[in-house]
Amino acid sequence: MSLAWHMVRHRFAGFAGTFVAIALGVAVVAGSTTIYLSSRPEAPERYAASPVLVHSPSVGKNSYGEPEYASWTSAEAAQLTARLAALPGVTAAAADPVFYVQRVTGGRPAGDPAAALLDGHAWSSAALGGYRLAAGSPPRSTGEVAVAGAAPGSRIDVLTAAGPATWTVTGTVDGPGFYVADPVALSMSPGVRVIGLTGGGDVAAIRAAVGDAGAVLTGRDRDSLEPAAVTRTRWLGAQLLIAMVGLGMFVAIFVVASTCALSAAQRRREIGLLRAVGATPGQVRRLMYAETLVVSVLAGLAGIALGALTAPLLAGPLVRAGLEPAGFTVTVQPLALAGSFLLGVVVALAGVGAAARRASRAPALDALREAAVERRAMTPVRWIAGAVTAAGGLALLAKMPSMPVTDQSTAGLGAAMLLLTAAALFSPVVIGPLVRAVTWPWRRAATGMLVREGTLVAVRRVASTAAPVLLTVGFTILLTGTVATIEDVQGQEEVEKIPAATVLTTDGAPGLSDAAVAAQTGTSQLPTRVLITAAGGTAGHDVAGAPPAETGGAGVVLSQALARELGAPTGTTLELRWVDGSTSRLTVRAVKAEAGPGILVPRDLVRQHDPAALTDSVLLSGAPVAATGARAMSARAYVQADIDEEGDLIDLFLLVLIGLTVGYTGLAVANTLLMATAARRPEFRALRLSGATDGQILRVTSAEALLAVAVGTVLGAAVAAISLGGVRAAVEAELDRTVALVIPWAAAAAVITVCALVALAATTVPVLRRVRSGTS
Amino acid sequence: MTKAHISPAVELRGVSKTYGSGERGVTALDSVDVIFPAGTFTAVMGPSGSGKSTLLHCAAGLDRATGGEVIIDGTAVGGLSERALTRLRRARVGFVFQAFNLVAALSAAQNVALPLRLAGRKPAPGEVTAMLAEVGLADRAGHRPSEMSGGQQQRVAIARALVTRPAVLFADEPTGALDAASGREVLRLLRAAVDRHDQTVVMVTHDPFAAAHADRVLFLADGRVVDSLAGPAGAQEIAVRTARLEEGRTARLEEGRTAEVRS
Repeated sequence: MSLAWHMVRHRFAGFAGTFVAIALGVAVVAGSTTIYLSSRPEAPERYAASPVLVHSPSVGKNSYGEPEYASWTSAEAAQLTARLAALPGVTAAAADPVFYVQRVTGGRPAGDPAAALLDGHAWSSAALGGYRLAAGSPPRSTGEVAVAGAAPGSRIDVLTAAGPATWTVTGTVDGPGFYVADPVALSMSPGVRVIGLTGGGDVAAIRAAVGDAGAVLTGRDRDSLEPAAVTRTRWLGAQLLIAMVGLGMFVAIFVVASTCALSAAQRRREIGLLRAVGATPGQVRRLMYAETLVVSVLAGLAGIALGALTAPLLAGPLVRAGLEPAGFTVTVQPLALAGSFLLGVVVALAGVGAAARRASRAPALDALREAAVERRAMTPVRWIAGAVTAAGGLALLAKMPSMPVTDQSTAGLGAAMLLLTAAALFSPVVIGPLVRAVTWPWRRAATGMLVREGTLVAVRRVASTAAPVLLTVGFTILLTGTVATIEDVQGQEEVEKIPAATVLTTDGAPGLSDAAVAAQTGTSQLPTRVLITAAGGTAGHDVAGAPPAETGGAGVVLSQALARELGAPTGTTLELRWVDGSTSRLTVRAVKAEAGPGILVPRDLVRQHDPAALTDSVLLSGAPVAATGARAMSARAYVQADIDEEGDLIDLFLLVLIGLTVGYTGLAVANTLLMATAARRPEFRALRLSGATDGQILRVTSAEALLAVAVGTVLGAAVAAISLGGVRAAVEAELDRTVALVIPWAAAAAVITVCALVALAATTVPVLRRVRSGTS
Repeated sequence: MTKAHISPAVELRGVSKTYGSGERGVTALDSVDVIFPAGTFTAVMGPSGSGKSTLLHCAAGLDRATGGEVIIDGTAVGGLSERALTRLRRARVGFVFQAFNLVAALSAAQNVALPLRLAGRKPAPGEVTAMLAEVGLADRAGHRPSEMSGGQQQRVAIARALVTRPAVLFADEPTGALDAASGREVLRLLRAAVDRHDQTVVMVTHDPFAAAHADRVLFLADGRVVDSLAGPAGAQEIAVRTARLEEGRTARLEEGRTAEVRS
């Protein structure tokens, strides 16, 4: 161990690559997991003063496995509230109906549209957040509101699901939200799902009072009441963080392994000396593990410091990017830091494993050999590992079309990682022929000859440089290619569905009000969610309200897929439970190939049971009529805007992941080349003595570096092409049609250029430095 | 022979070493029988490619013979595992190479202590310092190899080779990279080890002046021991023999009998 410590201290430059790779890897993992663990669900702020919350009962799960809840009907909610309020210790019980209200300023809806969906409340629920009137009196009748930031007596313009309205402010509240009289709130909201209690009370007694009419939540359990939109934002962020952790770890192992392999090859003489003076193979192996342990512990400490310090700085950008909810803050997560540190050490030891085994088998005689010629680059272990990873990757690709859609992207990434590893392992086999082919035109020039022979005898060095390039190019082409291919298909699909027409869509609001829709000539659907109980149990479904002409009067129309799923042919009667808690029995009038989201129901019924429902868009058949929170655009632009919004998010993901890979591998390329070039000092001296000018030496080293980049590019592109083929097959299988492959030439070119520039800089700098201080 | 001893430090019985196989095989050692008696200083000479380095590597257990038997301090190395061979080397054999003898990361004292540490033994107090004092470098204990001259590095290497009190010390051109004065100092130290501590030393060299410090000089050509000189021989006598060997070899080559031997 003390020997390892001296080794590390003495030749820290040789370990710098491992150090930086591990430090950055640990920083990425520590930062990501810190943010991930900081982003736990939280009960909404407006329940802050309510220690006990009662939620309406869960009735089955949706297709994502999340619970679906049934609302209490107004009568049930009123009854339960009265029963709970009467319990000893309970100060008050308040039903919490929620509805859409958005302030209108200057004729335009203001604020975050998604947040506005949850901004309307009943006055009595203000107590659940501990909000009080700062001035004025509570709202008592329709058209009255208590709100923050407006003086009692003033009037404010708002937009609700019904349309624009002007409300009178009766009181100023010290908390966010619009508070209206309780009966008004009930009439505007799609049912009650939460009743909050203030004061104390015996939880067991409360549970007994609720019975099976709902679930009683206290303490951290209340956090499950986080609005779905906020949870989804956290989920999006988590996807990115998980991808970053996975990629960060993979790249770190990759870089550490190739750095260690190169450094072990360069230290052959030293290791041979140790073997000669009596170090057993086991001692050599332990020495290398111990060295790496020392380096990785130091790097891990640096990494967790870096990660812990950077994570809080990312909170703001993440919130702005829509990947974390507003008000998100990063807290210190000791578990994340400790775990990342351990992971870094384990990754480093795993990375050095192969190099340590190889080095420990080096014969003691190597200490005496002068030759720079390498031993065989391909070992049996390398062949086997390459074959296994290649087979695994290909098998995963082949299986992809038959996998569930949700697993496909993970499988694709996994297959790419396996294939890239295989390509890196096999690269020494390919390097020889590739180099011969590429240098053939210059075989008579001195530079060409030197490059060619120099590369051919140092296959391992070239492989070490090519490996990170391979990784970057492969990942970039694969990630951007997959996204571009899928986006291209999606765009085509959706645009094909939309006829050439004008559409009325939202403008700063989460949906269109009834007033905006009623003013237009055209067709539209009013979406809501219902619970349908069929043979398979109760499940939530998106439904759309359509004009009676389309639903055959008071009946429903099902899509073929849903009719099959529910086992409900034409003529069966379905029981629909609306969001307000009431139920309707409706007969299936028709089964069509397509029926909105799956079910069409009479629009009036939707409006009756879901007063907060908002229309997405109106397909106009007449001239658009101006309305608050609405604007007209071509159908194509409408679909495109939708796709672009999603595309922006995906682009952000891509940027982060590719940035991570390029940054990492740039580091690896620079490190291997710096190490390799520095170790070639005697070779350059010999070249100079043979009459080579510094310019010629630079040309040789630059050409060699570029050759390594070219090898990596070719191999990476080959892997990406194979993987992209697999992705295309999966998409084709899913859509049941042929799909054009989109190759991201620009992204690939950019990444290759970066690699080439880094490689050139990393070879030129040490050569130039030697030229200046050179005394050969 | 100046001293009589019962068991030899190293014995080679019919040792052969062939590189490659079949038609393209190259014979570096051709059934060599040599005994290195304990407490003697033997120099091995021969033209480049005569197999003298191979002889040293096989005798020291660094390389395995393809035929015959190598016995180091009473132990036949042929049947030993890599691990056991390493242990034997660590305990019974010391090395001094032409260059790159020291671990650059360690100080002189640490380099000297290295074989002991690798054997899992803590050096006794003063043991390392005494060893360094013997090679005249007591004041350099804390210096790194990069802070010492080539001659000093070689002396540290001798101290390291002797610290385990090995049965035999092998030196491969120990003066090859040194100036004359430093070379003389190194040879004086090797000689002193034999005279004062009954150390066995086997040295490969092509320098007649260096070989003149030995008790016996063996001459190798084409993988065979072709001549030997006993007793302290003069450098001149050694040089004459060497020259004769070179001539003989050249003559044979001209006759077309290609005996390409790797060194």
